[in-house]
Amino acid sequence: MKELRRNMRMVGVLLLCLFLGMGGWFGWSAYTQGTRWMSSGNNTRLNSARKDVTMGTITDRSGLTLAYSDINGERCYAADADVRWAMAQTVGDTLSMSGTGVETMHAGILLGFSGSIIDRTWQWLSGEETRGDDIRLTVDAELSAYIADQFPEGYNGAVALVNYQTGEILAMVSMPSYEPYKAGSRDVAESAYLNRCLQGKYTPGSVFKIVTMAAALENKTGVTQRIYTCEGSRLYGDVAVTCAGDTEHGDLTMQEAFTKSCNVTFAALSYELGGTEMIRQSEAFGFNDNFTFPDLVLYESSYPKDIGSIAELAWSGVGQARVLVTPLHMAMIAGCIGNGGVMMQPLLIDQVTGSTGIPRLRASGGVYAKPVSESTARTIGQYMKAAVEDGTGSRAAIDGYTVCGKTGSAEISNDKSVETHAWFVGYLEEKEHPYAIAVVVEQGGSGGDKAARLAGKALKKAIELVD
Amino acid sequence: MTTKRMDLSAMKKAVRRSDAKLPGTLIILFQVSAMLLLTFRTNPIDQQALLLAFAMPLTTILITKAFTSFWKIDRIVLHMVLFLCSVSVVTLTAIARSSVTPMNQVIFIGAGVVAMAAGVIFIRALRHWRRWTIPLMGLSLILIALPIFIGDWKYGAKNWIEIGSGDNTLLSLQPSEFVKVMLLIVLASCLSARQSKLQTMAAVVFGAALCMILLVERDLGALVLYFLATMILYFLATSNVLITAAGLGAGAAGAVGAYYLFDYVRQRVAIWQNPWIDPDDKGYQIIQALIAIGSGGWSGMGLGLGHPRNIPLYHSDFIYAAICEEFGFVFALLLLAVYAIIVMKGISIAMSARNRFHALLAFGVVTMLGLQTLLIVGGNIRLIPLTGVVLPFVASGGSSMVSSMGAIGLLLGISSINADADAEDILRAEWQEGNPV
Repeated sequence: MKELRRNMRMVGVLLLCLFLGMGGWFGWSAYTQGTRWMSSGNNTRLNSARKDVTMGTITDRSGLTLAYSDINGERCYAADADVRWAMAQTVGDTLSMSGTGVETMHAGILLGFSGSIIDRTWQWLSGEETRGDDIRLTVDAELSAYIADQFPEGYNGAVALVNYQTGEILAMVSMPSYEPYKAGSRDVAESAYLNRCLQGKYTPGSVFKIVTMAAALENKTGVTQRIYTCEGSRLYGDVAVTCAGDTEHGDLTMQEAFTKSCNVTFAALSYELGGTEMIRQSEAFGFNDNFTFPDLVLYESSYPKDIGSIAELAWSGVGQARVLVTPLHMAMIAGCIGNGGVMMQPLLIDQVTGSTGIPRLRASGGVYAKPVSESTARTIGQYMKAAVEDGTGSRAAIDGYTVCGKTGSAEISNDKSVETHAWFVGYLEEKEHPYAIAVVVEQGGSGGDKAARLAGKALKKAIELVD
Repeated sequence: MTTKRMDLSAMKKAVRRSDAKLPGTLIILFQVSAMLLLTFRTNPIDQQALLLAFAMPLTTILITKAFTSFWKIDRIVLHMVLFLCSVSVVTLTAIARSSVTPMNQVIFIGAGVVAMAAGVIFIRALRHWRRWTIPLMGLSLILIALPIFIGDWKYGAKNWIEIGSGDNTLLSLQPSEFVKVMLLIVLASCLSARQSKLQTMAAVVFGAALCMILLVERDLGALVLYFLATMILYFLATSNVLITAAGLGAGAAGAVGAYYLFDYVRQRVAIWQNPWIDPDDKGYQIIQALIAIGSGGWSGMGLGLGHPRNIPLYHSDFIYAAICEEFGFVFALLLLAVYAIIVMKGISIAMSARNRFHALLAFGVVTMLGLQTLLIVGGNIRLIPLTGVVLPFVASGGSSMVSSMGAIGLLLGISSINADADAEDILRAEWQEGNPV
């Protein structure tokens, strides 16, 4: 009997753990994915609700209306055509063509599904028409419109601008864009619906050197003191890693290798660190994570888990091979360096207000990860500062402010027949303007040119506009 | 002397502690408010709901009074089960397409209460359980194999028998639900004989034979339950970690084997892994369930205000998702807690049982119940692949309701036997105290 009781206690505890585990898992998945499940296109409730509920209003951070329902229940968008154009994928449209738009992703809030009991009772008591909740976004519409206007004519790409201390997304522009009133019509190209900031998986190229640098600083001592000799190329197996434009950098300090973006040096670092360490560090930055942020759908960035050859390992250190990243994630990485190694969870929704006018309590974003130590972040920050002051990123500099950044020119073909994607990622050092940015111009050539120039302009405008 | 007195008062306290009135009151509050809400939801008012608003509390009081005055049963378990039954009737009234479904459920619950009383009487009267083993084994083998010969395929499994045919079907039964209880009695009886290797082996072989037949019938849910219950009870009785681990390993190997051998298993797993690939056909059910859960949010859409009817089998296999939509996620979690309380209460009954048979049986009843809950809720929320078991006491369906209530009857009976034995102990202690030797 005694033994039986002991066994029963054991199995009983196991059963209880199973119940707790399932409850916990259920809570976690419902909390992180509930909105996503609900906003699925297969949810017929939304369509029927759209008929009898007045959808809530979407405004930008300064209160400018981005979408609202008029007296007849018709959905209307921002009055200014430029704002409509710049914000199209962020706000979304009535047909859910831009699936990650707030109109679709947060339809539940706008239709009052997740409304509080207080709001529902209020509506019932006051005899008001059934109305969904209003959403105020963290983005600044004017800033977005400016960035869209300044985006190089005739190019595609994306710009993500975030506050690296809070995680708020201040601008999210994806080119080409579309007119929300024309969503679904033949005039709009299919690719315009894609929000490249969230859904565009790009080869990062040299901007990934931030991650490689972090891996080296976190693992090896005295990396900053090293001198590398670049002979323009180096063989890994039978594959050569070459520097852009076949430049021979000669003898380089670590900082020079970073500011001049020397591929040979960083390939050597990646090779020296090895696959395990590179995977660990990039995953600490959020690579290979199936992001489940409550405010937005951010596609997964990837660093190859199954590196096949030393050539692939070497090339991955300079952000080539099979490394892929989304622009918003890249802005988060740059912001993490600016924020002393602390990466914030991205926020898109500033406030939700029900019909009572009382803002709904929302869980603040908080810290997403701490991928590097403060000293590592400080060192990389110095290098990024130097890269803008006296390196590849000089065109991003702003008078009177300190821009820290890294350029990238990502090869997307093996034979250089296609122009490289131009990247610039960086941040403002001034803590009163804690903005981080990622710019990608598809086939825009060298990152130091179009991308860096646009990043400088966007950051300058952000300083002027965002309070 | 003093130590003895303390023992006595502690014992008396323990007996009194199980006599709580609050849960009963809360259940009645739930029944009345929910049913009145549903009554005035429609115009003209829902008369059946109005009737139930009065009938349900009355029945609850009646059942509690009857059971507790006849036997010293565990009130908490009884109340929790009655609460789950109320949730069932309320939910079905709110979501079912016609008023027939909740009314049928009320009838099933009625039959279940009779089964519960029968369970209590049976286990209290049962003295020579060994004698029942062989006949029960035979009966369960016949019952479980019956659908192979006279059953029909239903939802991809052949585990139903129908009496009458076509539109004149009088009764459709799921034998595996009833055999479940028999299996528990047989296992407890065989395994309680500690010394006999032969009997313990017989128990395992019997469990395995049932599993084989269930495999032929493709009743995966019941198969998993039978298997786990057999293994767990075997471990409890023998403490033989090696053989238990080997058995679980064999089960795991069997699961992997089944994955490669049978298309329908592979398909279930594929749907579970990524339902979004085919949201309109194969993944439709689970996706609609997830959408329902997401739409309900924290506080739910409100009774009768959701659209859980989008989910195929919303009233049986997917009632948990429907509850999530109607009542909200917080309520659904608390519902899980109710099951956990029944399980914990059952385990404590098993711990205080006076003999191995009762201990094993009580533990088996709640293990089966708990595992069944975990399996179906896990399937509803896409934690594990879906298996066709129903949520005990809540999902619509007669076989499951009657057999689960019968099993709870056994548990309640054992709790009353324990209470009687405790009372005897107290009497004896008092007598000794009054008349020191």
